[in-house]
Amino acid sequence: MRNFTLPERELMGSGHLGCQGCGGALAMRYALKALGEKTIVVIPACCWTIIAGPFPYTSLKVPVLHTAFETAAVAASGVRAALDIQGDTETTVLAWAGDGGTFDIGLQSLSGAAERNENIIYICYDNEAYMNTGIQRSGATPFLAWTTTTPEKTPKSEPKKDIMAIMVAHRIPYAATATVAYPDDFIRKVQKAKSIYGTKFLHVLAPCPPGWKAPSEWAIKLSRLAVQTRVFPLYEVENGERYTLNEPKDDTALPVSEYLKLQGRFSHLTEKDIQAIQDLIDKRWQRLLRQVRESA
Amino acid sequence: MKKPIVFTSEHEMPPMAVSLADMGHNRTGSWRYLRPVYSEKLAPCKNACPVGNDIPRILSLVSQGRYEDAWRLFRETSPLPGVCGRVCYHPCESFCNRKDFDEALSIAAIERFVADACFDLEDRIPERPKRSEKIAIVGSGPAGLACAYFLAKDGYAVTVFEGASQPGGMLRLGIPPYRLPRAVLDREIELIARWGVEFRTNTRVGQDISLEKLWEQHNAVFIATGAHQSRALNIPGEEFALTGLEFLKAVNAGKTIALGKRVLIIGGGNTAMDCARTALRLGAHPIVVYRRTREEMPAIAEEIEEAEHEGTQFEFLAAPVAIRKLNGKLEVQCIRMKLGEPDASGRRRPVPIPSSDFIMYTDTVLKAVGEEPDLAFLSEHLETSEGIVIERAQGMLERAGIFIGGDAQTGPSTVAQAMRSGKEVAQKIKSFLRGERPPKATTLEEAVRVNFNYFTHRPRVATPQLAVSERILSFAETKRAISAEQARVEASRCFSCGVCNSCDNCWVFCPDAAIARINGHYEINYDFCKGCGVCAEECPRSVISLVEEEL
Repeated sequence: MRNFTLPERELMGSGHLGCQGCGGALAMRYALKALGEKTIVVIPACCWTIIAGPFPYTSLKVPVLHTAFETAAVAASGVRAALDIQGDTETTVLAWAGDGGTFDIGLQSLSGAAERNENIIYICYDNEAYMNTGIQRSGATPFLAWTTTTPEKTPKSEPKKDIMAIMVAHRIPYAATATVAYPDDFIRKVQKAKSIYGTKFLHVLAPCPPGWKAPSEWAIKLSRLAVQTRVFPLYEVENGERYTLNEPKDDTALPVSEYLKLQGRFSHLTEKDIQAIQDLIDKRWQRLLRQVRESA
Repeated sequence: MKKPIVFTSEHEMPPMAVSLADMGHNRTGSWRYLRPVYSEKLAPCKNACPVGNDIPRILSLVSQGRYEDAWRLFRETSPLPGVCGRVCYHPCESFCNRKDFDEALSIAAIERFVADACFDLEDRIPERPKRSEKIAIVGSGPAGLACAYFLAKDGYAVTVFEGASQPGGMLRLGIPPYRLPRAVLDREIELIARWGVEFRTNTRVGQDISLEKLWEQHNAVFIATGAHQSRALNIPGEEFALTGLEFLKAVNAGKTIALGKRVLIIGGGNTAMDCARTALRLGAHPIVVYRRTREEMPAIAEEIEEAEHEGTQFEFLAAPVAIRKLNGKLEVQCIRMKLGEPDASGRRRPVPIPSSDFIMYTDTVLKAVGEEPDLAFLSEHLETSEGIVIERAQGMLERAGIFIGGDAQTGPSTVAQAMRSGKEVAQKIKSFLRGERPPKATTLEEAVRVNFNYFTHRPRVATPQLAVSERILSFAETKRAISAEQARVEASRCFSCGVCNSCDNCWVFCPDAAIARINGHYEINYDFCKGCGVCAEECPRSVISLVEEEL
């Protein structure tokens, strides 16, 4: 039996406003377990704006700065600068944004911070649409997925934006993918990010049961299947060059249909559509293997 | 923070939007319509075990190296772990969920290891009130022994009557020592005697003492005399055939039997396999003649394999029709059979092929075509139909305090089934003596679903065996014990189906941080649990159930 070893500390309190089975809430719980009390979290407009609780409450036991949609990375950079002036190099600044605030609206400020190599950890918890406002498509919404703005008759016709490639192209010291079904891997990556100076980027797949139209108890199962089907492989890239593949380790992947069939947002797909998605995944997988091989 | 903050004026508000409290006032438990509850399930192995051994917990103890605790847990449900670890056909392993993942756990080998490792341990016998009721048990086989043990543990005065010179019944008379060394049996019977059970050997009920007398002198009587009456072949020349069971009894009692070189064994059950393997060890060449095919053989598959492995020859689809004696040798006339329509047992009925007779020459013929209970001493109350005992008046005997169980009731079955029966009768006798209704048996109500994602493939431990060349030279035990390290590693393969082993998954995956770990146990805070069900889904072993909230 594979047993997980998680830090005991609990810096996310109960009573938060995440939906049943919220992958984003669980991701925050893991991230703060990894980082500890000396952390300041910067949250732009996203689900977590709501999850944390309304004024005058907070569900986190560390300081939180709520900021505007496009400003997660730059606000975090400012907090970092303020701490540095005070001589506090111990406290970690964590920018915590959704896919909308990362892939779309906050991309320029993220790019700026990465280019300046600001000493922050930026975690994008990606639930693959603007879930908080009612499931509108984002640049992170997968190919052919249903959202309220890409209805079944015209599902999203563009593939998901490759945010990791964008961040890797900035040659930041550390970029990695993680997801909630792999807590040990998740926590190791956050702790590794903490140990490195400069801009660290984590792309976290965070299943959203209401938005993905799946039962809440399948949140972890979906996260695991995303990895097992190579929809969301777990890997790390150091200094924009060195690729390391973490999961899936096996040569045999499950077919993507195993992942898609559990989610209502893909229920309109035809066999042909599923094959098109499979082809896309296979192509990306081959590219990732090539990148791992070439950087070895 | 238990209560929400209420500002009555703007002056009470902070100068800027800053949080003043946590979300503790927000009881998200009210969102829940499904409630996760820890409810351990009956593991399929435990459910399949005739004596109800708590296998997942025992294996958990073994995996921690706690062999003594494991042995004591075995003894809660069974007085014969050393015997069962060797001769039980382990239905637990057939139901092991791990078989759908890689290979079933080697539970029998672990049971045997635990019993061997704890061979010198004694039961802790507590001070307990002595009960005045006296119980007689007729027969000291597995049914009688199990019944005696569980009654004696409750303080009843138990006397076991045994016709043979030593207790053990079929365990001693029928099962050859290469499967069950007598030291193991002796030790486990000795431990049963420590609980105050009196064994009266060389006392055959119906001969040395009458059933009526026993009944007068005791408050309850358990008849567990087994099935020792061999069925007849009903063919001409039957008198030239020896009875397989009598042969086994004689060899097991240390008598010398001249078999000659070739031995024909008629039948396909466990007695036939024991006869073949015993004959091999006496230097003979055994040939099993069975009227159907290997698939229909009633013997346990493992026994068939071992018999074949050791050199037994099989002649399938053949049945003897006559035996003749010629110049000191035997000539067995057989007829070829084919399989026809299924019979009452579900097996295809053997049908003779006309004019297909052939002759087999041999030195000895052993007949092993089944045994039946011999209940002549009870004949005025009972009749038998196809080996099954039927009371002439339903329930009459039990109302009088006479109980029948084990093979004497069912015809030949297994050691574990006989023990189950003995155990059930012990419960019936307790209820009878207290004037209560016997408790209902529990059955598996919810299937255990294992989340395979949390396990890695690991091979099953192989039981070491004596080499065949060595085996057939003596009656030494053929199976060797696995090592302590092997037992520990093998036990750690257990999925622990339905039984929490504090793996932490529920705590790890709760998106609401609503599960607390307290000394290896978990507590769900229902004030905040939203009922998402992730914990139940990710529990590797179905310990958590989701139940609907009452509105």
